[in-house]
Amino acid sequence: MKIRPNFALLAAAAVMTLSGVTAASAQSTLETVKERGNLRCQVGQPSPGYYNLDSDGNWYGLDVSICQAVAAAIFGDPTKLEIQSVSTQARFTALANGESDMLSRTATWTLTRDSQLGLDFVTPNFYDGQGFTVRKDSGITSALQLKGAKVCVSTGTTTELNLTDFSRVHDLNISAVTFEDYNVRDDTYLKGGCDAVTGDKSSMAGNISAFPVPEDHMILPETLSKEPLAPAVRQGDSQWSDIVRWTVFALINAEELGITQANVDDMRANSKDPNVLRMLGAEGNLNEGLGLEKDWAYNIIKAVGNYGEIYEKYMGDGELGIGIAREGSLNALWTNGGLMYSPPMR
Amino acid sequence: MAIIKAEKTPSRPAPIFETSIIGWLQKNLFSSVFNTVLTLFMLFIIYLSLSGIIGWGFIDATFVADNRRQCYDNSLTGACWAGVIDWLTNIFYGRYPRDEIWRIDFGALMLVFWMAPLWMPRVKGKVLIGASVVVFYPFLAGYLFAGGDKGLFMQIMISAAIVALIGNMANLITGLAKNESVVQFLLRVSGKMTAPDKTQRNLLLAILVLAFAAVFWWQTSWSAVGVPWTKWGGLFLTLVISGIGIASALPGGIILALGRRSKLPVVRVLSTSFIEIFRSVPLITVLFMATTMFPLFMPEGFVLNKLVQVIIAVVLFNACYMAETVRAGLQAIPKGQFEGAHTIGLGYWGTMGLVIMPQALKHMIPNIVGSFIGLLKDTTLVSIIGLFDILGMLRSISKDVPWLGLHKEPLIFGAMLFFILCFSMSKYSRHLETKLSAGNKH
Repeated sequence: MKIRPNFALLAAAAVMTLSGVTAASAQSTLETVKERGNLRCQVGQPSPGYYNLDSDGNWYGLDVSICQAVAAAIFGDPTKLEIQSVSTQARFTALANGESDMLSRTATWTLTRDSQLGLDFVTPNFYDGQGFTVRKDSGITSALQLKGAKVCVSTGTTTELNLTDFSRVHDLNISAVTFEDYNVRDDTYLKGGCDAVTGDKSSMAGNISAFPVPEDHMILPETLSKEPLAPAVRQGDSQWSDIVRWTVFALINAEELGITQANVDDMRANSKDPNVLRMLGAEGNLNEGLGLEKDWAYNIIKAVGNYGEIYEKYMGDGELGIGIAREGSLNALWTNGGLMYSPPMR
Repeated sequence: MAIIKAEKTPSRPAPIFETSIIGWLQKNLFSSVFNTVLTLFMLFIIYLSLSGIIGWGFIDATFVADNRRQCYDNSLTGACWAGVIDWLTNIFYGRYPRDEIWRIDFGALMLVFWMAPLWMPRVKGKVLIGASVVVFYPFLAGYLFAGGDKGLFMQIMISAAIVALIGNMANLITGLAKNESVVQFLLRVSGKMTAPDKTQRNLLLAILVLAFAAVFWWQTSWSAVGVPWTKWGGLFLTLVISGIGIASALPGGIILALGRRSKLPVVRVLSTSFIEIFRSVPLITVLFMATTMFPLFMPEGFVLNKLVQVIIAVVLFNACYMAETVRAGLQAIPKGQFEGAHTIGLGYWGTMGLVIMPQALKHMIPNIVGSFIGLLKDTTLVSIIGLFDILGMLRSISKDVPWLGLHKEPLIFGAMLFFILCFSMSKYSRHLETKLSAGNKH
């Protein structure tokens, strides 16, 4: 038989390739990133509030700030960062094959994704939920009054399914008008093509702020779905997922402790609070387990500010913000009744 | 008695309804009650649409504003061109570093100067000029756009390209001034016009080597800052992708078409299956396959240059379409032409290159340009897989917080840009057709 040696060769080649792969993945993500000299952080195609391009071609937004914070934690420099904009279809593949080091985009943390796609969600950095926008003069104040209404919705998303479920549960007989592009969806609503729009509350708040007369519209109080948006990393490197997770926690913790971008130097030098000193690296050795420098958290805050500052800038009323009220929402600090809670940093 | 006038009767002017505007109007627009009603109705419709467009696009429009809210404050019903104006740099150059944009302009200008002699009747050596554009320009422009470290190969190609460009420019000047090629000029100046061929060749070679050495030494003294491809975007990226696609689709298509008509079974079957497979799937599928599926087969951490993947996909895809266009052109050539070429002793390549292709390509111009226009428009598909080409940029404007929701104006602007590009391409192809078929109208 002449074929056998060829098969053997093929098998050997396959084994060699495989061992090459294991050798490559034996290196931790942190080492790979440090060796390369920049962090590859994946976002999506521009989405208001989370990741946007400005007219000078720079990225900005809540999720971009998370990328910058991780880069600052590793390198002490938020610009050692490559933002990758990846289409929705390719997002998890790009993370799985190592093209991206982490993913910081509006990905909802669900059981299926966490357990079946080879990735780990770290911790939510924004809690979103589906809601309805209506005209104020329509007299509707609750989603339960939308009986027989025409509702504009974007296609191909869970939003559409949630709407159908909601309509069925409450026997509302809602008819959905579907759109590919949310700009067209909103235009149709504005021209009176439907009675309400449904979508994620955060993005709708942004869209309303861009309506000709924003005061004529409002978002109804009901929330149809839970959308905890969280950064994610590849499964199997717990040091790396710890780094990303505690970067988010450091942002939240800094807000709780009152550390801001402006006062972080002063706090590190003059604070009496051992919690502050430990976090900013003036005392203790919180950095060791993470494999980072002693001042990693200091660098984060110095680079991007605390969670509250980031929120204000991009989600709140800042110049680049889309104007979503934080007070009373899930995104408030736990001390203000929200869900933003960091485990103790000690 | 018949009255005979000696002088000629002066010719009377044509009846008023035949010549004047009023006459034309009466004849063509108001000849009956029904036609009058129809005319008035159409005029009303034209008025409605024009006044709508002009009112929205110009009269009520805002051209200067810091954000969309200011546009609304100015007028709720007009267009907000300020957003498009604010984003112009992004639309044309993408995220290319703002200090380095001159490199793109310079590269484009270089191409114009390099190609311009091809259209000047007095300039000699057009074939060489055309070849030098195809062979050397991509390297020089590629380095200019991408920058970074020059490898030895790149250094050689860049030097060669610069020498070619200098030679081309010198040739342009001697052509325009003295109606001779740069080679003739050099020989005349050095007084070697009548020297034997070998002396002439050695002299020219020496000049070439000297120029190359000088340029090579000079180019080691500078290097351009590296700009990763991820920062390429806008119209620039669209033109890079479609430019490479256009430049390589035609040669690729000719090879595939000849392969499909080949008498060698292996070549024929391979070419045919290649063409049929790529023609049977949509471009977007090829793009997704190239960018999403392909990396899965690669070792972990192996990052492919997505731009190169996209360009390869576009080139292969369009070469297959071009192959069928070329094949159609080949089939239009009568058998007598092949036989005639054979009788004068031409082989396969001689027949194809000198007799068949020149005739076939002339017939194919409308189809070829049609494919090129299609290719240019198809490249906008890359915005779906996350590249910020012109469409990607135009769509991003509506997501930028100061211009949130501004989506109609950018798309209209994009449509106008594409119209200008495609219409000039199609106008040029009409011009080429008339020029090439001037000798044999049939």
